[in-house]
Amino acid sequence: MTRYLLNRLGQSLVLLVLVSMIGFAVLNLAPGGPLSQFALTPGMTQADLDRISAQMGLDRPLVVQYADWFWRLLRGDWGRSFRDSRPVLDVIGGHFAATLLLMGTATVISVTIGTWVGIKGATKRYSIFDYAATVGAMVALSIPTFWFGLVAIYIFSLKLGWLPAGNMYTIGNGSFLDYAIHLIMPAMVLALVDVAVWSRYMRTATLDVINQDFVRTARAKGMTPRRVLMKHVVGNALLPMITLAGLQVPTLLGGALVTETVFTWPGMGRLFLDSLGYQDYPVVMGLLMFSAILVLLSNLAADLLTAFVDPRIRLT
Amino acid sequence: MSVSSPPIHRPIKSGWWNSRTFRRFVRHRLAALGVVMVILLTLACVIGPYLLPYNDLYIDLRARFSPPLTGYHFLGTDPLGRDIAARLLMAGRISMLVGFAAMILSTMIGATIGVVAGYYGGRIGTVLMRFVDAVLSFPSIFLLLALAAFIKPSPIMITVIIAITSWMEVARIVEAEVRSLRERDFIMAARMLGLSNRWIMFRELLPNAMGPIIVAATLTVARAILLEAYVSFLGYGIQPPLPSWGNMLNGAQQYLQSAPWLAIIPGVAITLAVTSFNFIGDGLRDALDARSDLN
Amino acid sequence: MSDKHRNAILHPNRRQALAMMGMVGATGLVMPAILGRDKAHAAPPSAPKGQVIIGFSQEPTVFNPHMLHIEVDEGIHFSVFDPLFNVDPEGKFTPALAVEVPTVENGGISADGLNWKVKLRDGVKWHDGKPFTADDVKFTLDLVVDKDFRSARRAGHDQVRDIKVVSPTEITWRMEKPYAPYASILAATFIVPKHILEPEKDRNTAPFNNAPVGTGPFKWVERVAGDHIELAANADYYGDGPYLERVIYKYIPDLTVLYTQFKTGDIDVTGLQWITPDHYDEAKALEGKTVQVVPGGTVESVTFNMEKPQFKDRAVRQALYHALDKTTIIDALYYGLPAPTETYMPQQSFYFNPDLPKHEFDIEKAKKILDDAGWKPGEDGIRAKDGVRLSFSNSTTAGNHIREQVQQFMQQSFKDIGVEMTISNLPPAVMWGEYWMQSKFDSVVVGLDFLTGPDPDTSDYFLTSSINAKGGAGQNTWQYSNPEVDKLLAEGGQVFVPEERKKAYLKIQEIMRDDLPFLPIFQYATIRGRKKGMTGFTPNVNNRIDSWNVGTWYWEQA
Repeated sequence: MTRYLLNRLGQSLVLLVLVSMIGFAVLNLAPGGPLSQFALTPGMTQADLDRISAQMGLDRPLVVQYADWFWRLLRGDWGRSFRDSRPVLDVIGGHFAATLLLMGTATVISVTIGTWVGIKGATKRYSIFDYAATVGAMVALSIPTFWFGLVAIYIFSLKLGWLPAGNMYTIGNGSFLDYAIHLIMPAMVLALVDVAVWSRYMRTATLDVINQDFVRTARAKGMTPRRVLMKHVVGNALLPMITLAGLQVPTLLGGALVTETVFTWPGMGRLFLDSLGYQDYPVVMGLLMFSAILVLLSNLAADLLTAFVDPRIRLT
Repeated sequence: MSVSSPPIHRPIKSGWWNSRTFRRFVRHRLAALGVVMVILLTLACVIGPYLLPYNDLYIDLRARFSPPLTGYHFLGTDPLGRDIAARLLMAGRISMLVGFAAMILSTMIGATIGVVAGYYGGRIGTVLMRFVDAVLSFPSIFLLLALAAFIKPSPIMITVIIAITSWMEVARIVEAEVRSLRERDFIMAARMLGLSNRWIMFRELLPNAMGPIIVAATLTVARAILLEAYVSFLGYGIQPPLPSWGNMLNGAQQYLQSAPWLAIIPGVAITLAVTSFNFIGDGLRDALDARSDLN
Repeated sequence: MSDKHRNAILHPNRRQALAMMGMVGATGLVMPAILGRDKAHAAPPSAPKGQVIIGFSQEPTVFNPHMLHIEVDEGIHFSVFDPLFNVDPEGKFTPALAVEVPTVENGGISADGLNWKVKLRDGVKWHDGKPFTADDVKFTLDLVVDKDFRSARRAGHDQVRDIKVVSPTEITWRMEKPYAPYASILAATFIVPKHILEPEKDRNTAPFNNAPVGTGPFKWVERVAGDHIELAANADYYGDGPYLERVIYKYIPDLTVLYTQFKTGDIDVTGLQWITPDHYDEAKALEGKTVQVVPGGTVESVTFNMEKPQFKDRAVRQALYHALDKTTIIDALYYGLPAPTETYMPQQSFYFNPDLPKHEFDIEKAKKILDDAGWKPGEDGIRAKDGVRLSFSNSTTAGNHIREQVQQFMQQSFKDIGVEMTISNLPPAVMWGEYWMQSKFDSVVVGLDFLTGPDPDTSDYFLTSSINAKGGAGQNTWQYSNPEVDKLLAEGGQVFVPEERKKAYLKIQEIMRDDLPFLPIFQYATIRGRKKGMTGFTPNVNNRIDSWNVGTWYWEQA
């Protein structure tokens, strides 16, 4: 177990280095640079831009810059934002909570609805409901998330006026209800794709279990279908669900980015786009690394949990 | 019928609607529907623009923001008074072309890396697959945007960018497939015959992994169309005046209140196209993989 | 209150106020740069009262006013800090931390422009209670040229020599050479506290930069990153105001949402980038809101890279100007809000030249100019001369929707005169990097603010020695080179009496109108909204920010 863990961690570290190299190269080889956004400031001259670039160390060879950045990172220094010179981790931390709230709510929604639809579809296989759910899931996977967000805003904010079109809360009103009202639409939109994934998954998982001998035995022993379902199906499906949840993290994160742009949600996705726009490389790099670590950790956690829940699986 | 022996399937209820034939029919009907829709969309985009009285680039500021079904413009006009129907069809050419081209490119990249990793295995295989993992552990949309934000956008560049952020699935599938094929008799035989590694990889292994590749490729088209739409929606993708479904949506949020059709129409087109490709991909998967048929 | 500066523009008497209101009634919008506070209706409260929420579509993040920053950051700078003197909407200087504005007449500036003397206000305190003195001014002027400090601007400050603190309320220095624009630069130079910044090892990352301490009407309270910034009234403020308890700068990244929140009353005042033109009709009819169109100093133009063979011929530039349908662009795409212009100088400026020839949109004339100059249509309908095809690309920031629409419209007009324009828009980082600064473009649509505050000097944009692509260091990206303009700019920069300076700048505008290195389209006008009762809001074309005088804002009492 320990050896497995060490092995996985080692691999993850190599991955992170690779990720950082790709990210750094992409950002820094591109034309422009972090100072170009200031070119149109009244009175700005090339001389000023050159001087500041040198002061910030941006005129050094790329390899040196990378080595410097990486060396600092090893010592826990993620660098400072070019925009407000705050430590990158502080900047990301400030936005992470918002993204987590959105992702968490979306996951709760999608798992709840997805599980229900999946199990119902599997137990009532080939019913109209099942077909509708199957086709619906496919369509849900095909709708562009951002467009679905636009349509939702059009219907629920502009036409019906039920929900706010964006933001996380009303200024001067931080009540729970206020947050909830702002959260519901982006969370539903973000959950859409995941509902499809979860329902398809739960349907398969339920079918797998239903067909196994012990379930048939249980039913033969007179357990009600509902109890069988609860005891065996959900119990057995829980395990792969955890794994799936871990594997869904990158998709969810990508989805959150898309959703945040449409709903002006002040999370990491919004920060990423802003930082890209302002050429705030330290923050962009930080976000890339942060999300990569998040993904790696969630995958690792999924593996470990699986092993923990199911003693039959031995991690070697 | 299948190599592995799946658990015996017992329908919970029985009736005409759950016979295997009907299931297949429904499955295939969705796939067939997908094929028909793709053909229709393609035909519309190829021929349609010649039949419409308007040019997709012709600007008529007096007719800006005409709603659909009023006046002469069937689907209305955009903020520059251009005919949306004409733009939608021209945009379809671009969007679907980008989708296809990105699919071909990413499948080529993915298949090559996958077959090399799977065939050689060992250190080369590990390094390559770790690289795949590295790219996968980015939420690809981050990578895609980071690339698109700094590269001069043109349809070709966008295609390339989408391709290099979506080849990993194919690589994984091919690697797994090749790894299992590697030890099979016909490959052993080929080795004994002294065929070159390249020959074995691309003439023996790859054709045998074609099934899963085709499924993955179809789904990649759907994905690529979605990605193009998103990147162009944010303004980093295909640049106007060249229309694409994504860039028609760019700026539509601003006019959501006054001209909602600007947002709704291209979105419907995207959803239609993507759904069609997903139907086809799903149908193909069923047809090619006996096991999944049972789920 | 006796030492508080007053002038007729900021504080009009009743008759003037009524005249202004009459104009509002007649035109439906207020076009002059100035809108006086209406004293006839209300007076500021005796103690700070209430709060105002100002919405920005970009997030202010740089609070050290001397570091590289964007427009919205200046909202915070003006609220928290003070310069030695301010610029009013008319372009006149009004004393702030200085007791009086140094001029040649009052002896603050020597006749040769070389020696400066500034008398400072006594008894001013920093927000932390420490006294403000001439040492702070010296520290600030030293800081901006400190080689380790990432100062955003050195031009002008680098001419300053021998700064002497004569007394806590008096400072003098010598200029390396006479430099008239320096007054305007000083008006944008906020004084920062020596006692806080001097001990810092690295002033680029000092905690001060995220929790600024100034002498201004409002004190820093907190910033919630990605959301808002809160400031509170500085009870000890020496000047007029503050009359509000709190100022909140709220970041709303989407202009449509910004407008919606203005409509619903979630924000009181729309800040940068204000209300989008397509919402104007709806906005001006809103109940309980005051919506006005305010001109800005930025001029939108189509600029040419004069070193490209297509643009070397002045006939081409003139023909393109005739083929540019400015009226339609302004009326249809910008909803008729901005004012067409023939020059880079804002129309509110003292130095504005009103006698320039008016633009005529005339396709036939454009064709004739090109015909006469020998540009003959080729087989593909595109004109050419001596092997040069009249075909070029046009670029701007990708994602600027209205500008992209303008480009596509221009493309169609130019095609009518046998000129091919392709559109090649770039992400902002790429667009305004080397591509712009090193003149790698063919042509660009850009909005530029040519002036520093009210000063008419444009050396950075027009001097031959400001061409980066030829080894210069400025922003003469069109590579415009004209010895006469060079000479006029050098002369104008050394004259300190506005009436005498004016001649040089009127002439420069005339030459630019004739040479057309860029085609002026219009001077920006933006739609600004505020809740009724918000008093003191005074647009100022010389500043980039509406809340430049937020210290004097207050809610009209019922």
